[in-house]
Amino acid sequence: MNETGDHTPAVQRRMIRYGDFVREVNLHHRRLSFNRLTPAGERRGDGSYRPYAPERLRLDVFEVSRLVGPYSATRFLEQTRAVAPLAAYLALFQLLILRAAVADSWTITLGLFAAIVGLMLFMEGLRLGLMPFGEAIGNNLPRKSPLWLVLTIAMLLGIGVTFAEPAIGALQTVGTIVDVHKAPYLWLLLNERAGALVLAVGAGVGLAAVLGTLRFLQGWSLKPFIYLSVVPTLLLTAVLHFDDDLRVVIGLAWDCGAVTTGPVTVPLVLSLGIGIAAAAGKGNSSLSGFGIVTLASLFPIIAVMLLAVHVASGTGPDDIIAAAEAAQRTAAPGWWTFSPAAEIIGGVRAIVPLVVFLYLVFGLILKERLREADIVLFGLVLCVLGMIVFNLGLTYGLAKLGAQSGGIIPAAFAPVDGLDASPMYGFVLGILIAMVFAWVLGFFATMAEPALNALGMTVEDLTAGAFKKRNLMLAVSIGVGVGITVGVLKIVFEIPLGYLLVPGYTLAAILSWLSNEEFVNIAWDSAGVTTGPVTVPLVLAMGLGFGNAVSAIEGFGILSMASISPIVAVLGTGLWVQRRARLRTDEPPRSPRLAGNPS
Amino acid sequence: MNSREMVVLTDVKLITCIVQRGAAEDVINAARAAGAQGATVHYGRGMGVRERLGILGFAVNVEKEVINIVVSSEQVERVFESMYLAGNLDTPGAGIMYVTPLEKAATFVPQEVLDKLSG
Repeated sequence: MNETGDHTPAVQRRMIRYGDFVREVNLHHRRLSFNRLTPAGERRGDGSYRPYAPERLRLDVFEVSRLVGPYSATRFLEQTRAVAPLAAYLALFQLLILRAAVADSWTITLGLFAAIVGLMLFMEGLRLGLMPFGEAIGNNLPRKSPLWLVLTIAMLLGIGVTFAEPAIGALQTVGTIVDVHKAPYLWLLLNERAGALVLAVGAGVGLAAVLGTLRFLQGWSLKPFIYLSVVPTLLLTAVLHFDDDLRVVIGLAWDCGAVTTGPVTVPLVLSLGIGIAAAAGKGNSSLSGFGIVTLASLFPIIAVMLLAVHVASGTGPDDIIAAAEAAQRTAAPGWWTFSPAAEIIGGVRAIVPLVVFLYLVFGLILKERLREADIVLFGLVLCVLGMIVFNLGLTYGLAKLGAQSGGIIPAAFAPVDGLDASPMYGFVLGILIAMVFAWVLGFFATMAEPALNALGMTVEDLTAGAFKKRNLMLAVSIGVGVGITVGVLKIVFEIPLGYLLVPGYTLAAILSWLSNEEFVNIAWDSAGVTTGPVTVPLVLAMGLGFGNAVSAIEGFGILSMASISPIVAVLGTGLWVQRRARLRTDEPPRSPRLAGNPS
Repeated sequence: MNSREMVVLTDVKLITCIVQRGAAEDVINAARAAGAQGATVHYGRGMGVRERLGILGFAVNVEKEVINIVVSSEQVERVFESMYLAGNLDTPGAGIMYVTPLEKAATFVPQEVLDKLSG
């Protein structure tokens, strides 16, 4: 058992008894020569060897379960970790502080389970089915095609990914909560014109993809882009603010900006953008990936507000209410408007157009053939299936739980129908409880977001450790917590959103002007990563339920507050980090001078 | 002449184990529990069984972790077996491992260990 090198006489030769060896070995060993497993090689007629093509492996059920079991288990746990703590927090808060049991708890549990399974299938399908297209197109298209064609495709891709974004489905789901009499335009945009709404958001994302790509192709600074898009956005907000019917749309428009940047948009649009930069020889700029996310959160706001203005110029609010009532009276909605058919149609409609578009680009423009076609196809099926299951989970789990919590929390400080004990606490204490609830929800939901962790690591690398990952995560999470708290207060006291957004974004613009390019990129992008497919439906539904319970006109705007406050928080932290770094570099030259050393 | 001394170890073997990305931690923990002193991991891409599994190939990650563990010739069997069990190498697509004889190795050996051995 023991080889002893002849050139090392210092080592004693030691014999090991076979019994000792057997004691060390616990498994039954069967020896098999590898020669018996490898092919001998067949010769053709001319004496050359025929290329070897291995047979398919055939697995029995047991082997398949051993292969797929651990694979699915890790992915299931990953999504559970995102959903379970938030759901548990909402349920526990409701139970302990407000002493109200969760209604329909079995439906909600099943719905949350569906959301977990749906997300798991969807993310896996995204990895197997959509990302290969995205990577191939990102790597090859910019080298093979002229710039205008690439930018056109980027624009169309922006629209396609928006439809495929899981959180977009949440907008339509919560749209049913809006009361047509209080906010006719809002109702119209979320119900009859929901397609146009998503298209407007998609156009905004597409434009962001085009301009963002051009930006890092030309090496332009992000700052002018921010000024040039924030100013018209705020001006439009002001215009809508002074129109009594359109004011309610502001919250929706700003929330749309937060919804866009999710798990489909970010990797697909970024892979195309980075591919373009790499083909132009500018891919090594460490900041090249940033900026698109920022613009993709700002442009959709403008697009949705323009859509609202356009809709308002066509139809008056009374027409909408009349039409909605007429539709309700003749109420014979087709089977396709009911769950689960609605979710299935929604899932197919979200994914299939994107896939067809990607495949056309891949086949007609790149003229490439798909490798591992069966696995890609399987991934696409998973994607559609996951989207359908996730949509079901949205309806029965996330949105339902969010709406219920949102509807019950006002019971802490105001009378709520159906709850005899409300208000349970004094007004001030009750509001404080609601604020603490909102802050904790925002803080922990954001800390748990995997995208933030990834951004934190990138940022720590980019700034050579000056901006610690922990600092960034804390700044963003505290920002989101404060944002959601302010959003809740906005609904309670019916503060017009414009009063909060205009100062917030003005402050962010001033801070951007003071900060250097890197921190501006990081800060504006950090707002986009905070709103994942779990947080968005929960927070949206909570806001609307909350709004209905306190009889506010609309409950949108919480997400938009959750976007602006992390920007300000990160920019502020960045300025502090910069200041500290400057103080540190200032100190060394001072001390030698005191010591009388002129060097 | 340099006053520094070099301890050359003999009776060393190298266990190399290639598993799917993410699976290395369990394998290394098992190896250390069986007495391995340390491990080095690097990343790679692997192919073969994934293509032969057809549609089931989705469960096999092409990205691999390559674990290198240097062990003594006395412990090699035990560590080898523990790693096999921890890595579930008896499932299709899980990975492969092998042992290579090494001529010699050198690293830091604490003085007290050396004293004890010579004393």
